[in-house]
Amino acid sequence: MQIDESRAVKAALIATSFLFLGLVLILPLASVFTEAFRRGAEPFFAALIERDALSAIYLTLFVAAIAVPANLVFGLVASWAIAKFEFPGKSFLVTLIDLPFSVSPVISGLVYILLFGSYGLFGPWLIENGIQIVFAVPGIVLATIFVTFPFVARQLIPLMEQQGTGDEEAALSLGASGFQTFRKVTLPNVKWALLYGVLLCNARAMGEFGAVSVISGHIRGKTNTMPLHVEILYNEYNFVAAFAVASLLAFLALVTLVLKSLLEWRYGGELAASGRH
Amino acid sequence: MPRAGATNSRHDRDEARTRRAPVRIDVEELGKSYGDFAALDNISLTVRPGELLALLGPSGSGKTTLLRAIAGLTATEEGTIRFDGEDATSLSLRERRVGFVFQQYALFRHMTVFDNVAFGLRVRPRDERPRPGEIARRVRRLLELVQLQGLETRFPSQISGGQRQRVALARALAIEPTVLLLDEPFGALDAKVRKELRRWLRELHTETGLTTIFVTHDQEEALELADRVVIMRAGRIEQIGTPAEIYDEPATPYVCEFLGGVARFDCTAKDGEAEILGGLFPVGNGDGDYSGPALAYVRAHEIAVVSREQAEGVPALIRAVRPFGPAITVELSIEGHHDRIEVSVPRELHDGGEIAVGQGVFVRATSARIFPKD
Repeated sequence: MQIDESRAVKAALIATSFLFLGLVLILPLASVFTEAFRRGAEPFFAALIERDALSAIYLTLFVAAIAVPANLVFGLVASWAIAKFEFPGKSFLVTLIDLPFSVSPVISGLVYILLFGSYGLFGPWLIENGIQIVFAVPGIVLATIFVTFPFVARQLIPLMEQQGTGDEEAALSLGASGFQTFRKVTLPNVKWALLYGVLLCNARAMGEFGAVSVISGHIRGKTNTMPLHVEILYNEYNFVAAFAVASLLAFLALVTLVLKSLLEWRYGGELAASGRH
Repeated sequence: MPRAGATNSRHDRDEARTRRAPVRIDVEELGKSYGDFAALDNISLTVRPGELLALLGPSGSGKTTLLRAIAGLTATEEGTIRFDGEDATSLSLRERRVGFVFQQYALFRHMTVFDNVAFGLRVRPRDERPRPGEIARRVRRLLELVQLQGLETRFPSQISGGQRQRVALARALAIEPTVLLLDEPFGALDAKVRKELRRWLRELHTETGLTTIFVTHDQEEALELADRVVIMRAGRIEQIGTPAEIYDEPATPYVCEFLGGVARFDCTAKDGEAEILGGLFPVGNGDGDYSGPALAYVRAHEIAVVSREQAEGVPALIRAVRPFGPAITVELSIEGHHDRIEVSVPRELHDGGEIAVGQGVFVRATSARIFPKD
């Protein structure tokens, strides 16, 4: 009797989870694709190869291509410092890394306007020297880096802290140089967590809306990324085109998700084992 | 359990013989502190060439810090460390060429056993690096030495703790180290494997002839394995000596208590002698004529139990009997002494019905170590 009861509870819990996810996640996501193809495939592809759309796709990829490697390097450096050394201000640094997670993306965009805008701190100097950051690509890159920098570091810090410095000491005592130790011991020890962090970072870099929206100025064909382009098209009641670009973004997110699942499935044991010894 | 060198070819033994002479290590006035805490306090020590030395002490006594300082893994503020007279404090880790076996082994988990052992050879500068064929030959020879042939392609997670320990050892030996340092080499293993590996390490040491230092908190391990034992306490050396010297002539009350298996008595010395459990014993090593409060340490087998008829020594009451093993352990309480003391008595006495809980007996010390009480 009791077993039946718990079985019923189990079924109810599972059903609720799926129902909720279906309503909140899958249904909207599916509607993106159905809306995109409402008038058939032709308008869909036309919306994607249109000049402004192509420019938005290009800009999105360009920004991600800068932001992700930058955060990869930053994430490695910061987590190395935090996990393997003791220094004053360490917990402050950890808190700082979390800042972009806790701050609204709008603020992340605004701070750059306050810093680099024409009335901002560095504004006059920038104008004098003819450098444009706000309402231009450099601003978008900066805002994207700001918003996405916790991803890699957040993945690496707990793992590196758990692994300690024993392996590195062993490598050094066996005669390896600092660089050899990093390349042959430290990096392989964290490679899956690193890849995982990069995937998440990339997904967010391509999809970021708030911070980029504030700083980009929405100049068509120039400072529009894909999420911004979707918004503009939508506001112009161009639903098919808006959903077509949106579905491309959603598709990129799904690819990321599949890659992540593949990683977990293929290297799940190693991902878990890399913590243990 | 494998025996080191049992399967070694003659070729390997010839090679071992042509290896350079073992190194002598001189530690001079070494000091290291973490804030107010002195991890190493003016340590001076000479490790003889080819010696197997144990650093023994409780956690926090500085034994691991000393080992790491000798390896060059921990920087020290004061003093020097010399390898064969050459100042090692100015040498880099690479130049020191110390074979270090870490407590948790620190094997590279993403590398096979073979690659772990080969690591130290592969990271050498190009002009010193052996050719791949030579590396493979050396790795195979080392795996043979530590009895791990056939496990080359396994990963550390796929082998047992004792095997990991031996991989770590082979990896450290691969760089042809000047000295071999082991941090709690058996700490992470269960009791049975520990005992086997202990004997095996002793044989390996004979085989390699390397000056070897290991850290342990297990006094039995240190006394059984080492040529000489260094007992440490709070960053200082309490006593250095052979296992026999340490056991027979513990230099301080601390050493007595750390070695364990003793009963402690407060007593009063007069003219360099003190009476303890019906016997008169000299203070310290027999010199001086100390009078005043003293501490006496008596080992369990140095207390004789006498029947009531003989009435020698001090009256005692039997509280518990553990009647197994070659000698029987008896717990006694003595008037005026608040701790119960443990005494080993021969089986015959027990079988004769003299030993039973609640029975009164007399005890007499046959030997004791007395220290002036500061």
